[in-house]
Amino acid sequence: MPLILNGLEPIPWWLAGAGIAFVTLALLWVSSNRLGVSTGFENVCSLVVRAPYFGRDAIRGSNGWRLPLLGGLVLGGFLSAVLGGGWEPTWALGMFDTAIGWGPAGKVAWMFVGGLLIGFGTRLAGGCTSGHGIFGLSNLELPSLVSTVSFMAAGAVTTNLIYRVIV
Amino acid sequence: MMTLFYVALGTLFGFILSRSGAADYNYIQGMFLFEEFQLYGIIGTAVALTAPGIWLLKRYGKTLTGKPLVVERKAGHRGNVYGGILFGVGWSITGMCPGPVLVNVGEGKLYALAALAGVLAGAALFGCSYRVLTRPFRLPPLAVGTGEG
Repeated sequence: MPLILNGLEPIPWWLAGAGIAFVTLALLWVSSNRLGVSTGFENVCSLVVRAPYFGRDAIRGSNGWRLPLLGGLVLGGFLSAVLGGGWEPTWALGMFDTAIGWGPAGKVAWMFVGGLLIGFGTRLAGGCTSGHGIFGLSNLELPSLVSTVSFMAAGAVTTNLIYRVIV
Repeated sequence: MMTLFYVALGTLFGFILSRSGAADYNYIQGMFLFEEFQLYGIIGTAVALTAPGIWLLKRYGKTLTGKPLVVERKAGHRGNVYGGILFGVGWSITGMCPGPVLVNVGEGKLYALAALAGVLAGAALFGCSYRVLTRPFRLPPLAVGTGEG
């Protein structure tokens, strides 16, 4: 199945998995940091929101590596588009367009609600796919296994409800 | 110098997520519908290679520059389950987990900006209500947090 991005063919799963393992281990070996993306959103919040939670040491002390990492993720997506057929703003959303077919306004509302759940949920869970799913599982941590099973199960139930029951 | 390293690592990570299907709406739905193996293969390979790597690095105990290499374990609490469930629903709705939200913004997917706004609002809401959530979810003290990741 081609990607939504310029109809590109995806790289093999084993290569992507090996690449992510390299990124995770490089971050740990070079600067003794646990890979994780969701805490980075708290670092962004800490720049504008003056709540005690965002002033804690774990946030103030990690701005220096989490914010550049987040910026790099945006840059990586941009370069991927530029080098793979060109960068162009788009509303294309694959099977959402064929099965549900909402326009831009509907997509914005849909994505904002989903984003709220991601932001609140990952921070309540203490990690996301990278922090719990990759690093936590690799470090054999029970809370990470509990969280990973929880978000995989909830995602499977939601997608099956949307595409096999409702639509 | 180090800032450049983190940007480079993030860029490589973002490029891989972008080109592998991990930041693609169809591949995420395919994973949750159990129709596409790709994402299971990616996460499985990543964990299978990272696990022995972490074990070796912890045994070695030093970073590249000779500083102590410490891996702090995350605390367990009820948020692991309830937060995980909320995140899973959000991942299904958007087809993006936190890394891919940023990757999709970079790719030029306009709706990803709305997802990013939601993610930041959700994280802000969580941080501002930490004291209220501490008791029902048995969260660690505010200074510790739920776990970084």
